[in-house]
Amino acid sequence: MTGKYDIEIYNKRVHYHLTVKRNITVIQGDSATGKTELLRMISDYENNGISSGITEICEKRCVVIENASWKERLATLQQCIIFIDEGALFLRSKEFTKMVKGSDNYFVLVTRDSLEHLPYSIEEIYGMRQERDSQKYQNARRIYNETYQLYNLQANEDIHPDLIITEDSNSGYEFYHKLFGETCCSAEGKSNILSYLQKSHEKEILAIVDGAAFGPEMQHVMQYIRDSRNKIVLYAPESFEYLLLRANIIDRTSEATEKTYELADSREYFSWEEFYTAYLIEQTRNTIYEYSKKKLKDTYLTAGNFRKIVSQLPEKIKLALMVNQKQQL
Amino acid sequence: MLKIFFGDNPGGNYIFNPDVFFNNTYEDEWITSETSRKMIKDIDGSEVKGPCMIDSPFLGPIPPERLSGGVKTLILMQNDPDHIFNASACGNNCAQWILRLAEQKDITIRLGYIMDFGKQPFDIYIVNTGKTVHTMLELDDEIIVNRLLRG
Repeated sequence: MTGKYDIEIYNKRVHYHLTVKRNITVIQGDSATGKTELLRMISDYENNGISSGITEICEKRCVVIENASWKERLATLQQCIIFIDEGALFLRSKEFTKMVKGSDNYFVLVTRDSLEHLPYSIEEIYGMRQERDSQKYQNARRIYNETYQLYNLQANEDIHPDLIITEDSNSGYEFYHKLFGETCCSAEGKSNILSYLQKSHEKEILAIVDGAAFGPEMQHVMQYIRDSRNKIVLYAPESFEYLLLRANIIDRTSEATEKTYELADSREYFSWEEFYTAYLIEQTRNTIYEYSKKKLKDTYLTAGNFRKIVSQLPEKIKLALMVNQKQQL
Repeated sequence: MLKIFFGDNPGGNYIFNPDVFFNNTYEDEWITSETSRKMIKDIDGSEVKGPCMIDSPFLGPIPPERLSGGVKTLILMQNDPDHIFNASACGNNCAQWILRLAEQKDITIRLGYIMDFGKQPFDIYIVNTGKTVHTMLELDDEIIVNRLLRG
């Protein structure tokens, strides 16, 4: 399934609005924000149609799956938006993960527990927020707010990191290591980022992760960042391959990053991270830029191309880089 | 004291879905007790009018079955000492109530995420490791070092 879908559902008392554009969306947040009520209304509409007194406006069929016969139901659905509440025991199971992978459906999962086997994006973690001046309207808003994909850095703040930790270990790490020098190290995977942060004694740390699949780690990492005595900033572009595509080293590849939801079919790609990697490999095949996740070709590191990639980084990181270079001179 | 089990299998008396469990087990007096009234007001913004009627600013008059999952879990923690409840049904806005309930008696809960218990010192016993922690940073460290939330 591809595409971006608005979902509007309302009755006389409440009115919900959310937009889904990736295979997995997660809703979490405080108690009593109306998450369960949203699923109840979708289920009532699914069972009773307009006789429910509920109005649902969505291009795709919205379905709620509960514990009973979940596998059988899931196996029969296609081109649906499937809602699942935290009461579903199977959410954290490997079997469910297998069924989401390659599914021709989108999933909206209401849960606070991290689903470590599912590669959801930090940009698709929402909380329900009441619209100001109205108790009736509830909109899904991103839980983790950011500016230029930088988290825990206010507009009036700068970062001067003593340590840069990257999730990437191969091509991505090669680039960041060339950029930051010996202050850069690899955590070798997203699930190691938290323990790296916890073990590090540096005062200012910049962690660079692939936002497109970092969702399961996000709550734990952001809670640790809040509680830590150190200044930790998270930079979370979709992925390193996303930066390379945005850099337009190969003609017009940035177009694929503009409306990814039209291209990244959930049947083929478990996350947009996978899509960007596959797209970059495809676009560069049999060229001097032939991309591999394992080793970054020198052609990406020539002065001109290196500058193009650096230009995709947020201004605050470029500023930190300049300060770092001056100190080394 | 508050005792927390982090992870998936806290034991045979564990209730994974406190929302449904509450609907089928609650007693009228659980709803009308002074503490429940305060919790329902604070978390859901609703007034208890009687054991079967709650006035919600959001949904209008509702029965206890339509209280939020968070407040149902808090009421269970207060009134049912025989079970371990899944506190992942509670958001961060329930954290101070959980600490308050655990000041009166021992309460054991299960969590699958790092709940924010705030900046004030507390006593939380981590069932998985047998350690007592007093700040959020100590709690984070215990979870990270022992990989308590890794499946």
